[in-house]
Amino acid sequence: MSDPVLRIDHLTMQFGGVIAVDDFSMVVNPGELVALIGPNGAGKTTAFNAVTGVYTPTSGTVTLLGHNITGLRPDQITGMGIARTFQNIRLFSSMTVFENVLTAHHLRRTSNLLSATFRLNGAEERQMRKDTEELLRRVDLYDLRDEMATSLPYGKQRLLEIVRALATKPKLLLLDEPAAGMNPQETDELGDFIRRIRDEFNLSIFIIEHHMNLVMRISDRIYVIEFGKQIAEGVPSEIQNNQAVIDAYLGGGDEL
Amino acid sequence: MFNTVFPYLLSGISVGGQYALIAIGYTMVYGILRLINFAHGDVFMVAGIIMVYMAASGVPLLVCIPLVLLLTSLIGFAIERIAYKPLRTAPRMSVMISAIGVSYTLQNLVLYITGGLNQIYPTIPFISGSVTIGPATTKVVTVVTPILTIVLVFALVQLINHTKVGMAMRAVSKDFETSQLMGININRVISTTFVIGSFLAGVGSMLYFTNYTTVIQTSGAMPGLKAFVAAVFGGIGSIPGAVVGAFIIGIAENIIKGLDIILFKAGLIAKPMGLATFSDAFTFALLIVILAVKPTGLFGEKTIDKV
Amino acid sequence: MAKKKWDSASVLSALVILCLYAAVFIAEQLIPPTSMLFTVLKKGATYALVAVSMNLLNGFTGIFSLGQAGFMLIGAYTYAIFTVPIAQRAIVYQYYNGGVVQFTLPVFAAMLLAGLVAALFALLIGLPVLRLKSDYLAIATLGFAEIIRTVFQWDKLGPVTNGSNMLRLFPTFNDFNLRNAQGEITVYLSTLVPLLISGVCIAVIVLLINSTFGRALRAIKDDEIAAEAMGIRLSSHKQMAFCVSSFFAGIGGAMLAMYQTTVQAKSFTTAMTYEILLIVVIGGIGSVTGSCLSSFLFVACSEWWLRFLDQKQVIGGFEVPLLRNGFRLVVFSIIIMIVVLFFRQGIMGTRELPDLFRKRRSPAKGGEGK
Repeated sequence: MSDPVLRIDHLTMQFGGVIAVDDFSMVVNPGELVALIGPNGAGKTTAFNAVTGVYTPTSGTVTLLGHNITGLRPDQITGMGIARTFQNIRLFSSMTVFENVLTAHHLRRTSNLLSATFRLNGAEERQMRKDTEELLRRVDLYDLRDEMATSLPYGKQRLLEIVRALATKPKLLLLDEPAAGMNPQETDELGDFIRRIRDEFNLSIFIIEHHMNLVMRISDRIYVIEFGKQIAEGVPSEIQNNQAVIDAYLGGGDEL
Repeated sequence: MFNTVFPYLLSGISVGGQYALIAIGYTMVYGILRLINFAHGDVFMVAGIIMVYMAASGVPLLVCIPLVLLLTSLIGFAIERIAYKPLRTAPRMSVMISAIGVSYTLQNLVLYITGGLNQIYPTIPFISGSVTIGPATTKVVTVVTPILTIVLVFALVQLINHTKVGMAMRAVSKDFETSQLMGININRVISTTFVIGSFLAGVGSMLYFTNYTTVIQTSGAMPGLKAFVAAVFGGIGSIPGAVVGAFIIGIAENIIKGLDIILFKAGLIAKPMGLATFSDAFTFALLIVILAVKPTGLFGEKTIDKV
Repeated sequence: MAKKKWDSASVLSALVILCLYAAVFIAEQLIPPTSMLFTVLKKGATYALVAVSMNLLNGFTGIFSLGQAGFMLIGAYTYAIFTVPIAQRAIVYQYYNGGVVQFTLPVFAAMLLAGLVAALFALLIGLPVLRLKSDYLAIATLGFAEIIRTVFQWDKLGPVTNGSNMLRLFPTFNDFNLRNAQGEITVYLSTLVPLLISGVCIAVIVLLINSTFGRALRAIKDDEIAAEAMGIRLSSHKQMAFCVSSFFAGIGGAMLAMYQTTVQAKSFTTAMTYEILLIVVIGGIGSVTGSCLSSFLFVACSEWWLRFLDQKQVIGGFEVPLLRNGFRLVVFSIIIMIVVLFFRQGIMGTRELPDLFRKRRSPAKGGEGK
């Protein structure tokens, strides 16, 4: 069996006296769609941030396709093939839809400051623009390309954030509550979209989500954490019937 | 050796106290609004100018002193209401630019009024006299400053820890939005902060200009910047930090002013190096080092950004 | 943007700029060189370059730096030190036996060097400073400018910097005029050349802003965390913007030296940085065109149009109150506060010259040329 795409070993994240993630381990296999769920404040986003380099883990290791990426900077980790979206949308607000996606191509550049400024990188720039156009066409955002990113409807902004992450050509995509604030119909469409990009772009996907219907419908496997600790792991049907998970959610006041 | 160093040390402590009184204004405003009030040093200068003009118009000094403090507090209050309050929801850069604009305006106003000439600061009888301590002869103000500073800081800390408005201030500086939700009148707290800060800058200006004797429109810029560095050095938002930082900077700066003579008398250098030039530069070098090594300063709290 | 590179709005903008240059050239041949118009254009060209370089940081990268006067000082000194004619060095460096630098560089080489030295300082100072958050960075860069000002006046450096004495007798804008064998001026270029230098430099900045690196910088300004997640290395990109900005501030400093005909460290004060910042704000943070327009407006008002405010004016036997030395600056300050408080977009917001010729606003594209 090949290397897992992502492997987290005994990850612990501590802030002062608070342990946000406690000895958490997991894997994402190639092509897999894995969800991380848990009540609010369980440490899900913290785990994401530790994987993407926003935080340096207190202890434990993160491995991407056999390379240890623990403690690298976020931009290095993105360069190695992990892209992410954010819980609270973080689009580039002064840019159009097109420019948002175009900017994500910057990290694959071969030009330097001088050659780019004096337009000696024409071929590369054209390629970036062509790739961006193509990507926007594939996800049906092409007609909106000249709109300001932040003027899009909420659902489209979420979509654009995913597309922008795709433009960095990742091997693993991390989605932090992509369905937050969406209505049921939009959520359904998002589910289809996530599966579609997984297949079309040969991705593995690691998702945090609160919409249980969505999680159960699209995930291959699910990890559940509470207070930073893993309380369950398995395929959706197993998780749905897991007593510890039900307790955690009833206790946490969330509906399952 | 001691005889050479002592006078510099003494004036360092004195200037340090004056910086401390300004630095408190910076640190309190930063604690609550997260704003570097670039105009604070100019408020300090304006307090000096008001004193000059008031004394010249024949108002007795004993009346001048409280009146100047009152007017300075009012100016602080007015600046906040006019230039910062309308920008409460604007990006931080806008507020900072507004502060720079206020600083520019105050300096130009004073330039216009004074014609850009040095104004002689009136002699405040009690603190202008001379006194001899050990090997040094100095003005009384040099001795009065640190004592007055400590007394005022003590009073301020009592105010913050034991009164209702003090409690509100602490709450607002901990969490702006939540305290608003809890029914604290944010605008009143902010105004109070500006009034206190300006009042202390007013006191500082009396001590400082008694020492330096002249005021001009740019007089506030340097002490203002140094007081800010002191606030950062001590950990911005912390009042004891600002005071400690101010004393350290005041002392270091004065020692450097006398470094040529000190080193020469100690036999370490053969001729003067012109090191006194660096007394200002030192403060900023210290700032850059502090920010690079420990951005939260001596007493500052670390904050974690939420993603 | 994705379709064709030169749309009609860009072409029109280029034409406008070309016409302006032509107009300046013609005016310079016809109008006496002592006219205030040329003073304003020369100083305006200098300030425009410095303002745009500051805008690159404050408006396009989101770095709130207040070190511009320091980098200008470095540029001005570098230029002056290497261009004072050898024959004049004994006079200029009279207290330092003619100084240690005993050669001169051609004017343009010295200007380039001025930029490079400023960029080098930026590289060094950027390492500790650029990691800081917005307001700390502002105060640290301000402090840096103050340190530079002190160091350049240090007596021990006198053989190079002339200590606290003035540097003078180096080539100025007037040396760009073409002369015949008798020394009479045949073609006036003393205004056009500075405008061209400034224009070329600003054009380079615009090219940078519209390149993939410029997009990365704007991404950093919009959202550092998202930019980093897109693979943009914050430290190196900020460092790059800081060095480029300082490079052009250094050239701007050299131009200021040429405009003033003398250089003295003590004039590069914090107030100078504030003035440039206010120019950027009035023009619109994030608009190159705005910075240029407001530089010329600012200089014109302070040197020319509002001068009357500084003198007694008698209209029909009635002496207008308040008018005396310094009133101009008060009026100025009030205008600035009004802009800061009520017109935060400034003149241009984030629009550029070509946007003015387009019907629908398509923001953040920027124009070629100035």
